[in-house]
Amino acid sequence: MSDFLIQYTPLIFVILMVIATIGLGIWATRRAQTASDFFVASRSVGVGMNASAISGEYLSAASFMGVAGLVMKFGYDPLWYPACYAAGYLFLLLFIAGPLRRFGAYTIPDFAEGRFDSPAFRKIAVTFVLFIGFFYTMPQMKGAGITMSQIMGWEYWVGIVVVGAVITFNVALGGMKGITFVQAFQYWAKMFAISLPVFILMAVYGAYHNVLGALAENPAAVPEVSGEAVKLATNESWISPFGAFTSKYGYPLLYTYSLIVALVCGTAGLPHILVRFYTNPDGRAAKRTTLWVMILIGVFYMFTPVWGVLGRVGVPELYVSGKTDAVVIDLPKTLDNRLLGAVLSGITSAGAFAAFMSTFSGLLVSMSGALAHDVYGRILRPHSSPEERMVAFKIAAIVFGAISMYLGYVAESWDIAKMVGWAFAIGAASYFPLLLMGSWWRGLTKYGAGAGMLIGGLLSLSAIVGSMLIDKKILALPGFIAGKPELRGVILTLMDQPAIWGVPLSLVLMVVISKMTARDVPADVDVKMLRLHAPEEMGLSKNYIEH
Amino acid sequence: MANDVQKHSEREEIPRELYPGLVRALMRRQAGLSLKVAAVFLAMLLLLPLVNYYLPQYANARLGGFTLSWLFLGVLFYPVTWVLSWYFIRASNRIEEECSDWRALTGGASRSASEEKEPVGSDVK
Repeated sequence: MSDFLIQYTPLIFVILMVIATIGLGIWATRRAQTASDFFVASRSVGVGMNASAISGEYLSAASFMGVAGLVMKFGYDPLWYPACYAAGYLFLLLFIAGPLRRFGAYTIPDFAEGRFDSPAFRKIAVTFVLFIGFFYTMPQMKGAGITMSQIMGWEYWVGIVVVGAVITFNVALGGMKGITFVQAFQYWAKMFAISLPVFILMAVYGAYHNVLGALAENPAAVPEVSGEAVKLATNESWISPFGAFTSKYGYPLLYTYSLIVALVCGTAGLPHILVRFYTNPDGRAAKRTTLWVMILIGVFYMFTPVWGVLGRVGVPELYVSGKTDAVVIDLPKTLDNRLLGAVLSGITSAGAFAAFMSTFSGLLVSMSGALAHDVYGRILRPHSSPEERMVAFKIAAIVFGAISMYLGYVAESWDIAKMVGWAFAIGAASYFPLLLMGSWWRGLTKYGAGAGMLIGGLLSLSAIVGSMLIDKKILALPGFIAGKPELRGVILTLMDQPAIWGVPLSLVLMVVISKMTARDVPADVDVKMLRLHAPEEMGLSKNYIEH
Repeated sequence: MANDVQKHSEREEIPRELYPGLVRALMRRQAGLSLKVAAVFLAMLLLLPLVNYYLPQYANARLGGFTLSWLFLGVLFYPVTWVLSWYFIRASNRIEEECSDWRALTGGASRSASEEKEPVGSDVK
């Protein structure tokens, strides 16, 4: 009886999480009646709710499991991930959140068209929503498949189909309004799941700083693992900066800086995060929301490395199996009280589940919204009624959900971190420069913006894909580079982490090409800039979405 | 004082010829603030890898079990971003309040010309 209970406890928690998600979705659907409710919740969402929802959407499988797993594996270096995820919001706040909300467009394609009076630019911008979206849904789906196989013993594809179907129908039924409530709830579920078990585990393994201190006391020691010998970092190299993670190609400082640029700029370029700022009633609320998001995710990220540190002591066998990503699920099971361990593991499993569900649904809303609103509503059938667009949204959600499930299934052999890196790098070198320059430089033309976004984004993408193929030995560097180890190290670092050249390249292209096409600066650029920067009290804001 | 500005029906249209000057004044003030906060933040963010690299004796110095670098990046970093954004939001809202009267900003026929005469953006160099 007891064994049965222990075995199925995580499943019970996951099912409860799914029921709560669907239940909230159905409840919220009753309140989402009009088309504009469906797309942007009529901008009636309060700051607390909106901040929780943005945080809930942002904290994906990579944050909930990936960061803890990376810290356990590599020690200090991965701390840059959560720090820069949070730091990205500061940049968003300083340069983008306020102007964008005031401008009154509610998707990046809206911004692109509104800022440059160019419907053609809208099409280019839409393709990037889909590019980034699919690259980001793949790792979420992979995380879902892996977690379900870890806690339930299911086949990889079963987890993907179950998780994917639940989320897809939730999005198709509730639209964004449903998602707002559900994602706010999911933030708090994730926060609870990452924090509460940590306190109980620290009572067993020792406090965060004490465990770290004990590791530092034995600099030359490595975790004791049974079975086959694996080469593990010593405590000293694990706890110090520039370990195996950033030193992979021999240029740790370059790698670190490029990673920082990608993560900080990439956050501002994620389409599913930006769309949220339009649900704020005004620019001031948008700024307050951002501060609360930074507090909510910051507190969350303080807890994630603790799991990695305790994991190094508690579940070193994960080093052997290579499944350090599962540390948040496996560590609680080491408790002497097995039932308590199973309950805590159930809580973290439910949290992981909430992580895929929230991020995946946010992406699905962005992608389906872009298709229904931009491709269908503006390009294919400009005279369609709001109801027809709503139907298009639902169909798009189901189609994109199915495609994502398939991509997740194909992606089994690819690294989650690499796939997330794709999304961040494309966002950093495409949308971020567009939004930054579009908001602050009156001289920007559609040609400059388009060229910077396309070339910067696509070259970064090619570099990353190339480095993956080289990693898998499908592709090789040309002989004259491969022959020189130093040059090879630099090139591989820059391909693996392209943001340090991709972002400046995109910005420079925007400036140079805009200067060359200066005649194409929109005639009413001052009106547009005023709309971006004038306080709402002046009454210059305009809403692009019809109510 | 802002009551008359906020009521849409009673608001006076801003003359088109004032737009360019108004845009410059608004953007300069807001960009000045954003760049100032960003400079503090970037200094912090970009110096840390250099400290880690060139001054490992400080980065790896121990404080209550943590190394200084771990304590900073893994814990203290977040409150610092909160303080910076809190400061930014306060200052930015103050700018918006001051700028909500376009007459004062463009130096046009303002009723409070004496107090707002100072050229906008003079605090930004």
